[in-house]
Amino acid sequence: MTVPNDCSQLGREVEIGQIEVELKRLWEADEARTNASLINFAVYSEDASALSQNSDTVREITREHACRAILIGVDRDEVEISMRAWITAHCNLMNGNKSVCSEQIAFHLGGRVSGRLSNTVFAHLNSDLPLIFWWQGDLSERFNDRLYSLIKRLVIDSSEWQNPLAQFEKIVPAMQEYNMVVQDLSWTRTYHARLAIAALFDDPLAQAAIPAIKTVRVVTSAEGRIAGLQLLAWFAAQCEWRKASELIAAESVADSFDFEHSHGGVVKTSVVTQSGSAAIGLIEIDAGDVQLTISRSKGNQVLHLKMKAHGHVSEQSAPADSEDVVGLVRDQLSRGGKNSLFRKIFPVFIDMLKGAS
Amino acid sequence: MLLAAMSNPFREDLVSRSRAEACTVVIFGATGDLTHRKLVPALYNLAVDGELPHGVKIIGFARREKSDDVFREGLEELNKEVSRSGHDPELWSEYQESIQYHQSEFTDLDGYQRLADRLDAIDRERGGAGNRLFYVASAPEFFDVILENLKAVGLSDSVGDCWSRVIVEKPFGTDLATAKHLNKVVSKTFAEKDTYRIDHYLGKETAQNIMVLRFANAIFEPLWNNKYIEQVQITCAEHLGMEGGRGGYYDNAGALRDMVQNHLLQLLSLVAMEPPTDLSADGVRDEKVKVLRSLRQLDTPERIKENVVRAQYTAGHVDAKQVVGYREEERVDPESMTEAYVALRMHIDTWRWSGVPFYVRVGKRLPKKATEISIHFKAPPNVLFNAIPGATAGGNVLVIRIQPDEGISLRMVSKLPGTTLRMEPVKMDFHYATSFGKGSPEAYERLLLDAMAGDATLFARRDEVEEAWRFIDHIEKAWHESEKAPEMADFVAGSWGPKAADDLLEQDGNSWRRL
Repeated sequence: MTVPNDCSQLGREVEIGQIEVELKRLWEADEARTNASLINFAVYSEDASALSQNSDTVREITREHACRAILIGVDRDEVEISMRAWITAHCNLMNGNKSVCSEQIAFHLGGRVSGRLSNTVFAHLNSDLPLIFWWQGDLSERFNDRLYSLIKRLVIDSSEWQNPLAQFEKIVPAMQEYNMVVQDLSWTRTYHARLAIAALFDDPLAQAAIPAIKTVRVVTSAEGRIAGLQLLAWFAAQCEWRKASELIAAESVADSFDFEHSHGGVVKTSVVTQSGSAAIGLIEIDAGDVQLTISRSKGNQVLHLKMKAHGHVSEQSAPADSEDVVGLVRDQLSRGGKNSLFRKIFPVFIDMLKGAS
Repeated sequence: MLLAAMSNPFREDLVSRSRAEACTVVIFGATGDLTHRKLVPALYNLAVDGELPHGVKIIGFARREKSDDVFREGLEELNKEVSRSGHDPELWSEYQESIQYHQSEFTDLDGYQRLADRLDAIDRERGGAGNRLFYVASAPEFFDVILENLKAVGLSDSVGDCWSRVIVEKPFGTDLATAKHLNKVVSKTFAEKDTYRIDHYLGKETAQNIMVLRFANAIFEPLWNNKYIEQVQITCAEHLGMEGGRGGYYDNAGALRDMVQNHLLQLLSLVAMEPPTDLSADGVRDEKVKVLRSLRQLDTPERIKENVVRAQYTAGHVDAKQVVGYREEERVDPESMTEAYVALRMHIDTWRWSGVPFYVRVGKRLPKKATEISIHFKAPPNVLFNAIPGATAGGNVLVIRIQPDEGISLRMVSKLPGTTLRMEPVKMDFHYATSFGKGSPEAYERLLLDAMAGDATLFARRDEVEEAWRFIDHIEKAWHESEKAPEMADFVAGSWGPKAADDLLEQDGNSWRRL
């Protein structure tokens, strides 16, 4: 049994068949609160002991995103098939005067899960509201079409994965067959860096220098490596760079990839991981007379943007992405959208992963 | 010099709005309240959110002698108080580097020449020509001279690919003649596409949501006509009076000119317009102006007497505090004939709205601050449930709350639990603040960004302004020039307006919605 002895954070334990009845009772007890929900937000972990921590995480997320939260903790090692459930509500004071609450149902599933996930757990989704499913850790065999056919948006964090290529390949059918929107937190980690790059290239001098880009170097933390690769894939896709040849990882400390401009010039790109770096610590773009740098110290909430163009130097700050996972999920939920850009860079990114592996 | 948005490949899919372009923002009237409380905090918040384009500079233009540092200190003090996202000293320190102060009389041409030199120097630092956004937030009597002087020193000219735009604050004229005159001055100085007449109500989230509600939901538009809608009410209630010396301005303007001509007619046109052919600025504004053109003109004193009520408040209580009457307010003429409250019954002579009254009311010293639009649907036929004695009749009401608690609610009739058949109205309620924990940006943030992006959708066009004035002018003339001027009613401060306003609706068998 991996469920923590102290389940107080999960709320009141209830019988599986009584979940909806007990949830209703929660609201009968206090008329001053408002029950709100815009999405079904499921958090799935195969580390069943993560349930309590995920309850804290959901509490944070509901400050901005009213939802019906469903926490799922699975312990595959349990011999006997078991299922327990807890209910609670996360209430936050909105605008200082109204208590708005999001319901949470936590499930612990022991032993073989097959069928129970979609049959029992998803019976408690709020109808008509989209299902956002946050899968924590590696995707297992339970990530199958019975599950992902129900998911509108899948949240993953590829920085947690030991073998990203194998994991991403599992997602491809869901993206292709069910048009599932994938929101990788690694990609979310690059959001403000991409905004900053776009802002720098709004300058006509920088824009004119795009065909002259010679190198792009990204320094990341170990956690930010995949984000760095996705950033390079984004450069390649947006600038319409071709693969120079087979994309290869040249050094053990760096993922280096050569691309070609449409006019034939070579672009050398690399992701270097450094301890002590922010997830995306440094982006250097060298286009001859135009050089752009975006840097961020670990723990700092702002990006520092610098442009040297034909002797002129300009500097500016811009907001940086959250460094904690909860903040990233919260930001991602705020942005929504179809994430079509991620789909666009995906083939290049997968090629790079193949080259790096 | 600056290239079109789509030529920057890194912009793709990052934001689903037109891209704001870097520019220098010159604010005329920089020592005023609007600059300190709204404009500079709006630009600061955009910078904090990373929405402000790289390299935006701000120049405050005003008459008082001040250094850059003193100007910045004053702005910082207010920013700490009013900024939506709070005040971060570190971020402010960097942001304020982009702010400069330019001292000059508005009438002094030399001051504008110095401004031009200053802007050129900024552009040179940036490495080329740049965009300019002039924000005219001064007292209205200086609008003409500011625009003329900008033209005289060539600052209104677009150079190469760089643009020069102007945002003009309200009031845009005081009647049709002055609005036409101002439009003439503006059009001599800036092209219409570069002119942005601001109405901050259009920057509010719920105002923008009116179009989304109507045209992105299939259930409403088929019902949005005289076949199903009984009446429409627009209320803009204010619990404040003439605090902070605003009596001086207000007593010259009055509720009709201050609020109805711009904000409320804009809201009305959003509610009543036909679906636009596209979401372009002119696509939307073409439809809005058609509504204003279709307003039945109240062009005789008799019609005005029948359809318009004006009033002033007398001493009373608001928020449990005793308050003085309008004529006793500071900087208000003790014999003032300016309305602090107005209620109108309007008709839009189109196929869609024929026979549907639009009731509009706005006033100071009402019980609470609230702006909302309510769409009152016709009652269902008096058969089945509605024929049962004691059954609650009444149609559905869709309410769009603009402020302060932005949201939408729908009233419908439901059966009360029990063995007998009893029916009562119930309300389905959507609150922005409850559903979306993250606060909406301030209206000025959105509008400044739109002006930098060249998107005029949420700004009034020349013909809209003139059509609105044409409608208002008849009423103003009847009030102030006609021998048969309708009387000025009164109401006790803290009540919901004069009895005459209630009677206005009662004649049609209607009543004001209780807020």
